[in-house]
Amino acid sequence: MLKGMKACAVAAVAGAVLTTAAHAADPLRIGVPTDLSGTYATLGEEVMRAVHFAVDEANANGGVAGHKVEIKSYDTEAKPDLARRQSEKLVSEGYPILTGLIASGEGLAIAPLMERWGSIYVSTINKADELTGANCVPGVFRVNTQSAMDAATVKPWLAQRKEKKWAIVAADIAWGRGSGKLFAEAVKSVGGTVTAELYTPANINDFAPYIEQVKKSGAEGVWVVLAGRDAVNFAQQSKQFGLTDAITVAGVSFTTDGTVKTLGAAAKGIYGIINYSSTLDTPENKAFVKAWVAKYKSPPTNFEGETYMGMQVIYQAVQAANSVKPADVAKAMPGHTFDTIMGKLVMRAEDHQLLKPNYFGVVEDVDGTLRPVIKTTVSAKDVAPPVTCKMASK
Amino acid sequence: MFIQILNGIVYGGLLYLLAVGLVLIFGLREVVNFAHGSLFMVGAYLGFTVAAMGYWWGGLLVSVVAMAIVGCMLDAAVFRTLRKQDHIVTVLVTFGILLILETTVTAIWGKAYLTYPVPRLLAGTVDIGSSPFPIYRLFVIAVSVAVALSLSAWLRYTRTGLYIRAASTDARVTAMQGINVDRLSLIVVGLGTALAGLSGVVAGPLLSLSPTMGNYILIDSFIVVVIGGLGSFAGAFAAALLIGQIHNFGAVYLPWASTVLPFLLMVAILIWRPTGFAGSRT
Repeated sequence: MLKGMKACAVAAVAGAVLTTAAHAADPLRIGVPTDLSGTYATLGEEVMRAVHFAVDEANANGGVAGHKVEIKSYDTEAKPDLARRQSEKLVSEGYPILTGLIASGEGLAIAPLMERWGSIYVSTINKADELTGANCVPGVFRVNTQSAMDAATVKPWLAQRKEKKWAIVAADIAWGRGSGKLFAEAVKSVGGTVTAELYTPANINDFAPYIEQVKKSGAEGVWVVLAGRDAVNFAQQSKQFGLTDAITVAGVSFTTDGTVKTLGAAAKGIYGIINYSSTLDTPENKAFVKAWVAKYKSPPTNFEGETYMGMQVIYQAVQAANSVKPADVAKAMPGHTFDTIMGKLVMRAEDHQLLKPNYFGVVEDVDGTLRPVIKTTVSAKDVAPPVTCKMASK
Repeated sequence: MFIQILNGIVYGGLLYLLAVGLVLIFGLREVVNFAHGSLFMVGAYLGFTVAAMGYWWGGLLVSVVAMAIVGCMLDAAVFRTLRKQDHIVTVLVTFGILLILETTVTAIWGKAYLTYPVPRLLAGTVDIGSSPFPIYRLFVIAVSVAVALSLSAWLRYTRTGLYIRAASTDARVTAMQGINVDRLSLIVVGLGTALAGLSGVVAGPLLSLSPTMGNYILIDSFIVVVIGGLGSFAGAFAAALLIGQIHNFGAVYLPWASTVLPFLLMVAILIWRPTGFAGSRT
């Protein structure tokens, strides 16, 4: 008993010392668990580039509201269980504001632990609706586009297309399943049919059996929900099978800058959702792209733009809260209007989804280089998903 | 249906090229070579670099020759030096080599995915039935069948082949008969590694290149080796074709179980015939 009391006293003193030390010069510490060696390793590389860019920029300007920004990163291999362990490690090492996870399953794995860890998570790539829907929690915020917003973007495009028979090839993970389901609903709502719904396991090498099934199904178009290595392998192999030339290919996270660059000519004519493009015509974006090109020699990719936006949101929440404590930052976020590279955007208070516009486009030749070009812009209001989150009761 | 069978043979053929290298090395040195997948990956990157200059076939040649040299060095420097140690030591060392190779390739070529071109000669498709099928995939089948045939002819009809079969059965007794097993193993490890380089180049246009590409395919190759029997060359061929078909038909008819099917088969084989399809040599 006495021993317990003693330990308590020591802890209390230590706590007091820590809190006094933790004032004015308290750094803003951001943990970046991301995929550095798994299926989405190139996305992880983009995440890290954007995070470093944002950190260097902030520190060069004297920090965020006087707080120096520090980051630490661990590899999650895009595996939910590893993401959970690495995130917990980052929080316990003093980096309680988390961002940078790639796969939706990773975000969903750590979301319920935010309260216990005393941390918050700002999603910049996770698309599964549940993260700010059925599984929403007070400590999770999403800056990027969720699947429901992508579906709302694709519907008007689908309605004006002549293809009525669609096949779906999607990654067999939370994001792929969710996005595939929403696309199937969108096809049905415009009077089309889904001829094949194929979910591919992670890390497969050969997509031939799936390509063959798409061909057999008689589909006039194929909707692809793959990213990273899967997207490149699928596009390359379906090009070899002549599928890309025979039917319309469209997708989400498929016509990303990184994939297009890797694929070269094989990417030309592929349609897709574009969540961020370096060509966006806002003054903030132009300034960002200019500074980025000066540093990295090529324009920022979609994931780099989205990750940078996540950092902007964290910074501005810290400024608004005038604190780096996760609890204070979390309080400053809901309902706040953020000044981002995509304009002034509101973090919806009910479900913590940042309401942003979304785009649809096609891969085209622009001055000799292939890149996704925006053809349709859908406003933030028009893609805003219905609120399904019941945060208050939690 | 026929096209799906062909697709299965393509993937099976690729697995065979990798697995037979593992079997060769295991036969002589009794080492499970964890670095085999990364040697496959290095082979692909070497071939890619030459192919990017416009010499696709030159890339193939460079990769095979360079990997053969690497294999000989691997045998002389690692396997021979460590042969008196517990096998687990050598296995751990090969795992270390894997990490070194991955990091080196990342440093030179970066992490971004690269796409390996198809040689001009083999571009395009042919109609099989009424469905277009890539000519390149037929080439993959041809390469693996050619390797399987020439390898088994070499092992069966030449004196070196006889020695290798003998040494694979019992290296010590073979050495007692006056055969230089170290020299033999230099040839065999060199050949196995050259095959890893060959399969890297052949797989290049099908898979995107990344420093971790070897890991994704090595697991399937290990399954092939276990099912086929650790020391059996013919067993590896049969098992590779079987896994190729299971991979394809699993994806079509049992998609929810497609990833576990090869593992289930492996477990069944280990219970029913612990030494694999073809049994072991001893």
